[in-house]
Amino acid sequence: MVCYLLTKPTNPLNKKQNKKIFWLLVEEQLPTTIRPPLPIIHSRKLAFPPKFKAPRQVWVSNMDTVEEEKLGLIDLHPEVFAERPRVDIIHENVRWQQLYRHVSYANTKMRYEVRGGGKKPRQQKGSGRSRHGSIRSPIWRGGGIVHGPRSPTPYFYMLGFNTRLNGLRSTLSAKLAQDDLHIVDSLDIPTDDPSYLEKLVEERGWGPAVLFVDDNDIMPLNITAASDSYGHYNLMPVYGLNVYSMLKHHTLVLTLAAVERLEERLLFHLNRNDAASAGQKYRLDSV
Amino acid sequence: MASVAARSFVFRQQMNTRRFDFASCLNIKSFYSSYSANPKEKSPENYTQYHEVSSDNWKFVERLKPPTVVPSFPKNGSCFSDWTPPPDTPPNLPYFVKRTKNFMVPVYLNFEAVRNQRKITMVKHIEGDIWALEKAIKSHLEEVTKRQVVSQVHEVAMYIKFRGDYVLHVKKWLLNAGF
Repeated sequence: MVCYLLTKPTNPLNKKQNKKIFWLLVEEQLPTTIRPPLPIIHSRKLAFPPKFKAPRQVWVSNMDTVEEEKLGLIDLHPEVFAERPRVDIIHENVRWQQLYRHVSYANTKMRYEVRGGGKKPRQQKGSGRSRHGSIRSPIWRGGGIVHGPRSPTPYFYMLGFNTRLNGLRSTLSAKLAQDDLHIVDSLDIPTDDPSYLEKLVEERGWGPAVLFVDDNDIMPLNITAASDSYGHYNLMPVYGLNVYSMLKHHTLVLTLAAVERLEERLLFHLNRNDAASAGQKYRLDSV
Repeated sequence: MASVAARSFVFRQQMNTRRFDFASCLNIKSFYSSYSANPKEKSPENYTQYHEVSSDNWKFVERLKPPTVVPSFPKNGSCFSDWTPPPDTPPNLPYFVKRTKNFMVPVYLNFEAVRNQRKITMVKHIEGDIWALEKAIKSHLEEVTKRQVVSQVHEVAMYIKFRGDYVLHVKKWLLNAGF
């Protein structure tokens, strides 16, 4: 469905014509189920071809129909999608993603903040009782807390680059190994009806929560409108892909363009020549 | 809520489709996070134009730039150092030790414990049966050094550590094994 917004030309001197009339022209696009002979996508050149590890092959499906139609078979790079999943690294990534933005607002008052306590309660000597300087000292009931929480306390830290990189590799490998990774040609669906998307996901046995990942952050209109009413169908550009979201959603659906971009970026970082010098400016303990 | 959001997406979509005319001609990709998606951004004709002077001389610039990715090693010829290239076929063993991205054997000397007193030989990038590899290397080291060798096998991170400085022995063993 393509929408055009049209306005009539207005004359500033003519008040009558100043009323802007908006015309909404809606063109219905016929659903295209006519396809060239299959397989459409049958080969894909891998960057940094793996020497001894076999590429993983996955089906490429369509989003045009509710029933799954396999359009072809592609290779996925084993260093990205067939890496031994490091559960400890995945855990570190999830912990980092949850904690780096956390700010604790818990607060307790110290002895100088608690109301009162400026005057010496009784004279130093003569009363026979213990000596004190303030009624709000930490040993007193109602006194200040010495090492309590102090608001706001940030818990920001940056996980190492390679830990985050390997977290993505481990999670993608785990998703593929557990049959939770699907490749589609594009995210173009024929209608913006939310029930179409629901039927599609149910028919194919994709998990309750699905994460659709595309290369561009401007997504097609239909899938944007269809998934908008569901909290568990989410659209994401490749640059937003993260371990927490991949684990939160049961199924991960990547477009071909997303796979290309993802592999290109991850393999570049795995094979780059200047990793040490590129990361120098982010080191905390060096000038 | 869906209709309101859909309408806003309609507006945003066709706003960007209008701008796509310039972008698509010049093959510039327009993201929400890019400058070209900004409403204040004008079409490229309004900005400083550029034209190619000579594309033949670009090779002189390119050869000055360092390579972005690790270049492949020359297949023929020997090195003056004792570096040997990785083999074309893997050895027929239940384990495999992959070379680093710079084609080096992944054996390192670490200094651990208080005040860096303990020397540890670490073997990384191990795939397959790590225990069999550990047994093989350990027996070789004990034969060569004629003393007991203490080792640690980390199955999750897939590395082996030997207490002592056996880097050269382990590297030689790995090269002889065909890794």
